[in-house]
Formats: sequence, C-alpha cells, structure tokens
Amino acid sequence: MKGLFKSKPRTPADVVRQTRELLIYVDLHAGSRGADPKREEEKMAELSKNIRDLKCILYGNGEQEPVTEACVQLTQEFFRENTLRLLIMCVPKVNLEARKDSTQIVANLQRQQVNSRILASEYLEANKDLLDTLISGYEDTEVALHYGAMLRECIRHQSIARYVLESDHMKKFFDYIQIPNFDIASDASATFKELLTRHKATVAEFLSKNYDWFFAEFNSRLLSSSNYITKRQAIKLLGDMLLDRSNSAVMMRYVGSKDNLMILMNLLRDSSKNIQIESFHVFKLFAANKNKPAEVVNILVTNRSKLLRFFAGFKTDKEDEQFEADKEQVIKEISAL
Amino acid sequence: MADDAGPGGEAKYPLNPDCYRLLCKIGSGVSAVVYKAACLPLGSVPVAIKAIDLERSRANLEDVWREAKAMALLSHANVLRAHCSFTVGSHLWVVMPFMAAGSLHSILAHGFPDGLPEPCIAVVLKETLRALCYLHEQGRIHRDIKAGNVLVDSDGSVKLADFGVSASIYETPPPASSFSGPLTHAPQVVLSSSSYFSEMAGTPYWMAPEVIHSHVGYGIKADIWSFGITALELAHGRPPLSHLPPSKSMLMRITSRVRMEDAEISKNKKLSKAFKDMVSSCLCQEPAKRPSAEKLLRHPFFKGCRSKDYLVRNVLSVVPSIEERCKDVTGLCGCAAGGARCVSPCHGQASASIVKNRRMSGWNFGADCPRKEDADSFEELDQTETVARLFLPLDDEDTVPERACDGAGEDGDKGTMEQQGDREENEGSFGVKGVVVPHLMTILGSLEVQKRMLAQELEGGCCYHHDGNCCRETTAREEMLLAYVRQLEQRVEVLTLEVEEEIARNAHLEELLRERA
Repeated sequence: MKGLFKSKPRTPADVVRQTRELLIYVDLHAGSRGADPKREEEKMAELSKNIRDLKCILYGNGEQEPVTEACVQLTQEFFRENTLRLLIMCVPKVNLEARKDSTQIVANLQRQQVNSRILASEYLEANKDLLDTLISGYEDTEVALHYGAMLRECIRHQSIARYVLESDHMKKFFDYIQIPNFDIASDASATFKELLTRHKATVAEFLSKNYDWFFAEFNSRLLSSSNYITKRQAIKLLGDMLLDRSNSAVMMRYVGSKDNLMILMNLLRDSSKNIQIESFHVFKLFAANKNKPAEVVNILVTNRSKLLRFFAGFKTDKEDEQFEADKEQVIKEISAL
Repeated sequence: MADDAGPGGEAKYPLNPDCYRLLCKIGSGVSAVVYKAACLPLGSVPVAIKAIDLERSRANLEDVWREAKAMALLSHANVLRAHCSFTVGSHLWVVMPFMAAGSLHSILAHGFPDGLPEPCIAVVLKETLRALCYLHEQGRIHRDIKAGNVLVDSDGSVKLADFGVSASIYETPPPASSFSGPLTHAPQVVLSSSSYFSEMAGTPYWMAPEVIHSHVGYGIKADIWSFGITALELAHGRPPLSHLPPSKSMLMRITSRVRMEDAEISKNKKLSKAFKDMVSSCLCQEPAKRPSAEKLLRHPFFKGCRSKDYLVRNVLSVVPSIEERCKDVTGLCGCAAGGARCVSPCHGQASASIVKNRRMSGWNFGADCPRKEDADSFEELDQTETVARLFLPLDDEDTVPERACDGAGEDGDKGTMEQQGDREENEGSFGVKGVVVPHLMTILGSLEVQKRMLAQELEGGCCYHHDGNCCRETTAREEMLLAYVRQLEQRVEVLTLEVEEEIARNAHLEELLRERA
C-alpha cells in the first residue's frame, strides 16, 4: 500500500538485509556517546518500519494473506546470517511497537519451513547462548514479557527445550515464578509449565534424572510457598505432570513418599477452594496407589476418620461427575485400609 | 528484582500493598472492588486499585495473566494502562491511574440524565476513537465499548478502560466475558483459543447484532456498532432500547433495525445532522459497511472539535466528585459513612481474610514429623464451618454495604451492573437473578456455540463435493445436521423466552418486595 510511489518494490530478502544493516547500526551506536541524536532517531524510525514490514510479510496485512514464497525467501535470508541474534539483542533498544513486532516475527519464524527444514531450530541449536539471553530477560522488567514470549516459541523445538531443561536455568525458574510483578511471574510460570509438559519423552527423562533436587525444590519453594498464586499454579502443574501417562514412573515414585503425602494433605486443607480441588487431583494418586509403602498407609490410617469426614463435605462448585467418581474411589480406598 | 511496571522514564510504582493507602471504595463488581488509593512513596499520588478476587473470579489464572499481559503491552494516551499488578493474598491488585472525574456513565448519572451537549460528546467520542484506532491497529477488539468504560480525568483527558485484565475477569451480568482478543497479528493468542470471537461478549444494549447471532464470528466492526450505541447513550443519557429487558433488546436488534428514529428517546432533543449521520453509519447491520475507527475520525461531526478544557468547563465543573457521588447514592456505602470508616484500608478484604483463614485443623502425621498444626486435635474441626465455607463461598465476603455500593462507583463494570438497572436495586432480587438468569443465559450461550460449531461443520462438509465421490452421503449428512441446527435454534428461542419470563418474574417479585418494605 505504502509502496504506491516506489519505483521498485523491495523483495522480502531486501527487507531482511536492510533490517539487518539497521540492527547492526543500532546495536553499535544506540545510546553511545558522541552519536548524532537526529541521525539515530532517523535510523530508529527506519528500523521500526522495516521490522513492521517483516511482520506484514509473515502475517499478511489484514487484507492479504501471507504469501508462502515470500515467507520462504524471508526466512532463508533471515537465517543466512545472524539476523535473529541482532533482533533479540536490539529488543531493549527499540520502541514498544517494534518490540512487539519483533516478538511476533521471532514467533512466526519458529514455524517457517524451507524445504521441510525448520531453519530456526537449526540456527538456535548452533546458537544456544541466545536462550541464555532470553531466559535472563526475566530479570529485566523492560524486556521480560518480550523475551518470555520469544522463549516460549523457541522451546517448541524439542532439542531447544531439552537444552533449557538440562541447563542450570531450570533452578532460576523457581525464583522467576515468585517475582512480585504479576505479569512477569505469570509469564515465567507459563514458560516453566511449557517446559515441563510439552515434550513428553524429554520431560519424563528430565524428571527421572533430576528427581531429587527438582521435587525437593518444587515441594519446598512452590507447594509450600506462602504466595497464593505460586501455590495454586504449582499444584495445578504438579497434577498435570503426574497424571501424564509418560511420567508414570515419576508419579509412582512421588506417591510412594510420606513427605510428599504430608505436603499434599496440608494443601488439601488450604484456605483456597481452588487449591483444595487441585490438591485432591494429586492426593487421589496416593490413595489409589496399589503398592502403598507402610509409612503412607500409616498416615492415611491415622487420619482416616478425619479424611473421610473431610471428603463427605468436599464438593466442587459446579457439578463434576469425574470429581465425584474419583472421590468415591478415594473414600473406598481409605476405608478399606 | 523487577520493581517497576512500565518502560523506562515512568515512575516506578511499588509492588507492595503496604505502600498504598486505600482511601475510598469507588466501584465494585462481582469479583472485583475498585478503590481510590494513595501511593505513599510517590508523594501520595492518587491511584485507582482494582482488587480482583482470584478465588472467586471464574476466569482461570492463565486467562487473567494473558489479559494482564495484553494490557501491559498497550501504550496509548487514550488507553488506560495499569501501572503495575501484584498479588495480595488471593487478590490481584491492579494499580491504575486515578481518573478523577470517573466514567462517562457516572457523569451522565450525576449531572446529565438527559445526555451531554453535542460539543462535549464530540470531544469524548473523538478521544475514544483514537483509542479504538490504536487497538484495532494492534489487532485487538475491545468488545465492551460503552460510556461506563470511558473514563475522564480532572483535566478532561479521556481514556478507554476495561479491556485486558478487566475483561475476562469481570463477570458482566450475562455469562459474557468481554475479551479483547487477537485479530491478525497475534499468533500466540490465536493458538490459545479460536472461540474468543464466537463467544457472546459485551453488555446487551451495546452489543452488535452479529455478536448476538453471528455464525461466522465477528471482528473489529463490532466495536464500531457499540461505539454508535455509546454515542446515543451520551446524547440521551441511556442506550437505545434500554427500556426493554436485555434479552428483548437483543431480539429487537436481530429482527428489526435499530434506527435513529427508534433511538430518539427524548423527543425534544435536537441532534445535529452530522451526529445522526455519524451514528447511522456505525449502526449499519452489515459489519463491512460500518466505517473503520480511522475513517470515523475524519467524519464532519468531529470537525472543529473543542478541546479538553471545554470538557472541564462545561461538564466536569457541573458534576460532583467521585467521592461525593459515592455518598449521594447510598448511605450504606462503606466509604460514605464518614471519615473513619472511609479511610480504614480495605475493611472488606480484612474481614474476608479472617473468614478465609479459618480452616480445618491439622492432620496427624505422627511424632516423627512435628508440625504446628499437629497440636490441633481432630475434635476441633468445626464441621459446620468447613461445610459452610465449601457450600456458600459467596456469603463469605460480599457484605451488604459492599453491594449497596454498586451503583455508586466509577468502575467500568459498575455500568454493566447498573444498566441491569432499576430491577436490580432491590437486595432481595439478587438471589434469583444472580442465579437463574445467568444460568439460563449460559445454556443459551452454549447452545449458540453448538449451533455455530455445527454450522462450521456444514461448511466443512461442503468441501467434500469437490472430491465427487461421497456426494450423496454428504448431502444426507448435511440435511441431518441442518435439521439439528434448526432444532437447536428452536431450543435457543425457547430458552430466550424462558430468560425473559424469568426476568419478568424477577421484576414482579421485586415489586412485591418493595411493597412489603
């Protein structure tokens, strides 16, 4: 539309090349001493426009659908050099709109196929330090939401998710999740959840290998947190993980532990109804376990009448047949001990 | 670590509740209360704090987060943006700029029951359009444009509120969650649910026809319809068809056209041709024929539009302050009962947390794992209390004074509560309407969704024709599905009638209650 008066329309590759040049300029000069503010402003405006153009090629412009051939060209040129790195590094230097556009470009590129290869995945595998950058974004309010969104797109690739899972970054998530800023903490939680649920086999392997430290942290820092949101999200995630068939070995290990049972039973009597319900979905696994260790049986027997009385009055707000059936089952198991 | 909310240069609002002093409740909804507060470390600058009860909010945490994030990433002079948000117990506090003059709805109610003068309408609508331009360019739909969601500051600046965080959390009276969703450029949101657009959302009187009965979902043009209705609301003091119950008004919009003539509630009011023309263009049944927000800005009605100062002199000087309005409407309102109670921070929540902290006594984990709770014996468990908490979650916190305050605030969703209007004033009606009608509306909504899904499947079915091999089978299937759709449509109609009857019955019951009182 805007190219009405332009003699030669730029090809998608041209746009990528121009963007790259501008990114290099901005990366080197933005905020540096002695830079000409007016020239810098011009370059910034030009960069924002180019980034917007890239987005329009990848997503269409509202009236036109994106053209596959153009997307392929763009993707090829993009990953021929370090454009992704430059784009990520320049996020803190560009304005809000360009940041949002950049995030959407990075997201889109993760799905673009060129000759049935995903160039983005190959590029990231060769440049894993970019993931370190994205993850540490949670420590910087300025870029946290943009880097967080980019990161979640990158871990769609199994190899990339595995890298993050196996890195020391996993430990940092326990801090990020509890950042006081709600937007950022929730973003970190969403990424954490994605890491621990998306790629089944990889997750199962991670959990078995890292069982001890991971669940120790999970129990002590998340499930026993005094923060309502942290607790509520953690118990939901725990349920999602343990109830996944691919994690059955981990689940059996988890429900065989007296300490875990105690934590869950305490959550069962949390002041929050939502937390109670989510805890029940994990608690029922302890009760349903056919090979309960003696220490687990002991606790259940000691608290049997109390548990049964509790379950008698335990209802969801909305009618939930599955919940009722599960509850019946749990009551039966505990009564029979 | 992360201590501020916005991009550089902005004041950093603390993420700690102790840094804020709640001054006065200025609005409340089903699961949120809005306070005027002072941010102590920033020289007691006034802010509005929306305290959303996450335990009672029907939205799941992911929706809350997605909306909070969307709101954090919008930046426009005419769009209300949160300073920051953080959790306080099971509440999410969203700290926002305090808009001293309140919503246009509240301004209408407290100074202009028959509508604003046209030049003032032009000023506020123009600012609202600027916000819409920005949102639509971002590929977002507001989905709940109305006077109650347009806020005005003491200097006459205008901001559109109540999308983002407020949207999915705010339970508007019908099961609608107004959700500003993605349009073209938001892949990560598109992924999460394609049904955002086909959900019934918004507040009935302002809703576009295609939102009510669309089979194809709706786009940004739905906002333009609501914008047109808002224009009429500002001109007349209330939206057209508001004398009818919501469901009836919805039917009217599908079956007949809302025309300017129908809309002229106060007959003696002279409206300019430019205004009528502008509104008519917005109220075109065909969404594609409605102008874009950008195009509307160039409409002659907005030529020679006055400034913010004009608004201050002619409107803001006439209406009482928010605090005054709060006092006016209800003597019961906590913040109107005099200084002491008014300033005591968050008494509603304090009592709520006391209730909430009562819980079952501890488990017995044996001697080898001592715990504080173990001291409690089993007998201490107060069964009735637990049961009460489980079964009557609503009774924990919603104190009468809080509810009485509904009509008094400037909060966005207050408008939606108020527009349910006269019928809801009565406390006694709350139960029936609060339960039965929304329930029916939910059924209705879900039937609508089913109907649409079938319609989509039909469209999908048509594709088989190109294969040529399963033509007959497809036709039979189509017919069956069509019959089912018809059946569903009938059920929707029956339910719509039921909803109306229920509303009528409510009105009758309230009548009786009022007589008795």
